Amino acid sequence: MFEFLLDPIYQTWIVQGFLLTVEITLFGVLLGLGLGTLLAIGDIYGNKPVKAALAVYVEFFRGSPLFVQLLLAVYTVPAILNRQIDHLVLAFLIFGLNSAGYQKGYMKGSIETIFGDQMQAGLSVGMTKIQTLRYVILPQAYRIVIPSWTNEFCSLTKSTATLAYVGFMDLVGAGRSILINNMQIIPVWLVVAAIYLVWITCFSKVMDIIYEKKKIPGIELLMQ
Amino acid sequence: MADFVMEARHIYKTYGSKNSKKAKQADTDICVGAKHVVEAVKDVSLQIRKGDIKLIFGPSGSGKSTFLRCLAMLDIPDKGEIYLGDECLTKPGVDLNKARARIGFVFQHIYLFRHLTALGNVELALRQVLKLPKEEARKRALDALTEVKVTDCANKFPAQMSGGQAQRVGIARALARNPDIILLDEPTSALDPELTGEVIDTLRDLAREGTTMLIVSHEMPFAQEVAEEMIFYDEGKIVETGPPSQFFNAPSTDRAKQFMTRIIKRTTRE
Repeated sequence: MFEFLLDPIYQTWIVQGFLLTVEITLFGVLLGLGLGTLLAIGDIYGNKPVKAALAVYVEFFRGSPLFVQLLLAVYTVPAILNRQIDHLVLAFLIFGLNSAGYQKGYMKGSIETIFGDQMQAGLSVGMTKIQTLRYVILPQAYRIVIPSWTNEFCSLTKSTATLAYVGFMDLVGAGRSILINNMQIIPVWLVVAAIYLVWITCFSKVMDIIYEKKKIPGIELLMQ
Repeated sequence: MADFVMEARHIYKTYGSKNSKKAKQADTDICVGAKHVVEAVKDVSLQIRKGDIKLIFGPSGSGKSTFLRCLAMLDIPDKGEIYLGDECLTKPGVDLNKARARIGFVFQHIYLFRHLTALGNVELALRQVLKLPKEEARKRALDALTEVKVTDCANKFPAQMSGGQAQRVGIARALARNPDIILLDEPTSALDPELTGEVIDTLRDLAREGTTMLIVSHEMPFAQEVAEEMIFYDEGKIVETGPPSQFFNAPSTDRAKQFMTRIIKRTTRE
């Protein structure tokens, strides 16, 4: 049933597909984190026009399917700009931009939970708002956001399955290609599902450990 | 003017719907969102000379803390001027961060940086604001912690300290930059009586060294001992000012008399 796993060609496809899935997810969540942080800060500090522009951005990326965004990017952006753009570059960007739309919310939430007193304390010692954000608020916000960020990672990993339908060889793309050759629907998808499952479980466990390690010492006493 | 380390002239500060937009911009305000208008500071003036120790007291909710935060420009006054030495802080275009670097502020609820050790809390501004090299910042931070006798907590995080230790670290953080003045907002009122003692001892040491301080506090024995002047504050205004002996023997206003009676009763009961 699973003999296809022994075929070196299939093995290469699966490994390459898995690597593409991993690369695009990691790039997406990291770009999403950086951009999401800036969006959150803009939303907290910005004036009305800035907030409105951010809201449009966030609602676009949260309110429409990632798959449709991917199709739009791959099929319309090169036409609008009237030049060839590597589809892979577009896909990477879309994953990052999309994730930023969600992560802005996570970051805003965690920044605001630690905001008031810590900002006052930072200003009181003569630091600027930006210094206080950088040295006081964000280091705490990033610790708090780890579990939400892990969720975002899991969700984005599975969203990469859409890549197969715009012509990329991700994990699902590899599965499809193998299917076309051997027609073993159930075993192939079981293997694909298992790889996602194992990868996401391992990654989440590692993030859980990092979350515990990075916890501010003694802080659990305050939560009791 | 240069005689004074800090001077406030006719300060006004109102919270509430009327100024809610302004209050929001300051974004350090705690009372944002209050529906009714609260006049926390109404035409308050105050002068502090080098080495002065003054104590503000009065009923809670009377606006003492707001006034103190205005002095540090953590709240921006609606009207009036604040001088730090020769510099007018309420003029537009003043670098408030630079000014705040010369003012020490100690909060009622301590507000240590939660993700940093005691040492890190004191060091941060030395590194980022005074731009001291690493070693020098460390040395000065340790000196400050030694001064308030919490060196044993140097590597502890705020959540691992007692309230008294944490507040002393808060004082060290305010002290380490050698500020022109230290403003203390009820530094002991969030602590239990035993821990209050430690913090009061620290303040007593600072007083002995001639540190310029403006303290909001109800620690009457301490006030009697160290304060040159006591300021009774009620309903957004300074009601009466005088040496401690005046307040303990014969306050000239009825309101102060009433308040002192109640507070002395409470102290003796304890």
